Amino acid sequence: MSFWDSLIYDLFPLIWSGTITGCLYALGALGLVMIFKCSKVVNFSHGNVAGLTAFLVYGLSSGVLMSLSWGAAVLLAMLAAVAIAFLIYSIISPVVFESDLTSTIATLGFGLIAQGITLLVFGADIVALDLPIPRFAMSVLGLLVTGYDLTVLVVAIATIGALFIVIDYTKLGIAFRAISENPFAAEVCGLNLKSVHYFAWITAAILGVIGALLIVPTTFLSVTTVATFMLQAFAAAVIGGFASLPGALIGGILVGVMMNLFTFYVSPEYSSTFLLGAILVALNIFPNGILQKVGGTRV
Amino acid sequence: MSNHATHITPDQSVFTRLSSVATPGVTAGILVAALIVMPFLLGGSWTFTLGLCFANSIGVLAVSLLVRYGGEVSIGHTFFTALGAYSIGVLDARFGISLWASVPLALLLGVTFGILFAWPSRNLHGIYLAVTTLALALAVPEMINNFDILTGGYEGLYVATPFIPGMSMGMQRYYFALVMLVIVCFAVARLRLSRQGMALLLAKTHPAAADAFGTRRVWARISIMGISGGIGALCGAALAFSGSTVSPGGFTFWQAIFLLVGSVVSFYGLSLPRVLLGGAFVTLVPQLLSASGAWIPVFYGLALLGMILLGHYMPRIRKAMSRISEVS
Repeated sequence: MSFWDSLIYDLFPLIWSGTITGCLYALGALGLVMIFKCSKVVNFSHGNVAGLTAFLVYGLSSGVLMSLSWGAAVLLAMLAAVAIAFLIYSIISPVVFESDLTSTIATLGFGLIAQGITLLVFGADIVALDLPIPRFAMSVLGLLVTGYDLTVLVVAIATIGALFIVIDYTKLGIAFRAISENPFAAEVCGLNLKSVHYFAWITAAILGVIGALLIVPTTFLSVTTVATFMLQAFAAAVIGGFASLPGALIGGILVGVMMNLFTFYVSPEYSSTFLLGAILVALNIFPNGILQKVGGTRV
Repeated sequence: MSNHATHITPDQSVFTRLSSVATPGVTAGILVAALIVMPFLLGGSWTFTLGLCFANSIGVLAVSLLVRYGGEVSIGHTFFTALGAYSIGVLDARFGISLWASVPLALLLGVTFGILFAWPSRNLHGIYLAVTTLALALAVPEMINNFDILTGGYEGLYVATPFIPGMSMGMQRYYFALVMLVIVCFAVARLRLSRQGMALLLAKTHPAAADAFGTRRVWARISIMGISGGIGALCGAALAFSGSTVSPGGFTFWQAIFLLVGSVVSFYGLSLPRVLLGGAFVTLVPQLLSASGAWIPVFYGLALLGMILLGHYMPRIRKAMSRISEVS
């Protein structure tokens, strides 16, 4: 009897909340995968730039920089994220076509700068940044579902749904897929690689902002929280195969659930080590992501 | 004259290569001689800082080696430096065993773990290794703090057992790091000329040709990570002995990125002067900017980007310059 009790009172809520945070990891991972798919760059600045924009929302709405309404602050932060992504890609685009390794290293430089700017403007303090959502909680089949959970779920589904519709049905999405498949052939057919790269980088930045804003209420906002949140996103991307958008979504939810189970049942102190182990095991078992059949590896 | 610059005939390229082999040897010799007399000219604190420079140079070399021979980027080399540093620290502080035993152990551990970490991504594109090392770098402080029975947690360990009994400790800390750096640089220079080194370079630049010659790509990937991990552990050993303390603060995620920045700043150089430049950058910039801590990441980021863009635009600028001189 106690086994079933613990199953109902511990396991299901853990899986539920893991799925919720997993959606957010998936948002981060989708951005990483979009950038990687078309420009073959691993964007290590993703977390730090998203963290900077989350701080911008805080600064613009709390009176540190300005005291705007939350919506206006988010809008401005989004614009800033788009501008930053545009700037980053514009600076490294000549290098992108030369060497993906060098441009990956260059993104680390932008990550450092974003981190430094956050420290310079907002300091190393921990601040609270909440979402303007009604506080309510209801019990569904023994699960405690809060307004935050529903908000995250709705926003994540809407964002990811919109992303997949854009990629599947619009011209831009088709161009994106064509360039991911074969950049040379796509260029021969008259597609402009750079403009599609811009699309991927800017979309990724917006996804990063949304993910960061939604994750912050569960932790706090400090210089490092969003950057560590991105480790989960990286793990999700690796488990999903780093070149597959649906894989990133599933990887994100898997990472969210596994992390929750691990911190509850084993130890909260080894969460990064656990992620490291998960990445290593996933690379060994599904080298090309969970959605690919094993055997198609590039040897 | 400009024709010489643009069309290098095979003979000339061999000649330039020969001359470039000869001069670095001489410069390195002069540099080493200068560094040997340094402690007699400088104060104690500068000697200490220079020792740390040498230690960090070894770490920069480990990262550059991975980029040069493996075409892979590691942002988790603090794992290997921590491994080396803590094998020195733990054996010294807990068991009183001196460097004669702990340095070989550090090397062995570094090589073993390098191979172990390269194994899961052996068949895949290099970015998987980069992401794995990202997780590695973030996991290191956690591991150190949780194994506090052995590692001393936040407080760290103090390395006090002399390498050569009877010699002044300050001098030992300096010369140990210098000797390690020279040995590692020499070994890397020999690797370039060895069969193994050639095979590794071939596997990186022309994978298909390497396959045809029987060099397995998986082997190349794993062995270069093993070598780099071993050198990383030696960097940790030198850091532990020259810095006299081992604590988690030296092995943060940022430290790992700084090693990579040092490697980029030295243009991934493997020669002694270049590596020293990278090591000095990693060691001195935080000390010079220590009053304004938040500027350190900005400065490092700008340096990283500046060097990458310089590396990208320099050949073009040079070409444009030679074209201008051709016209006039």
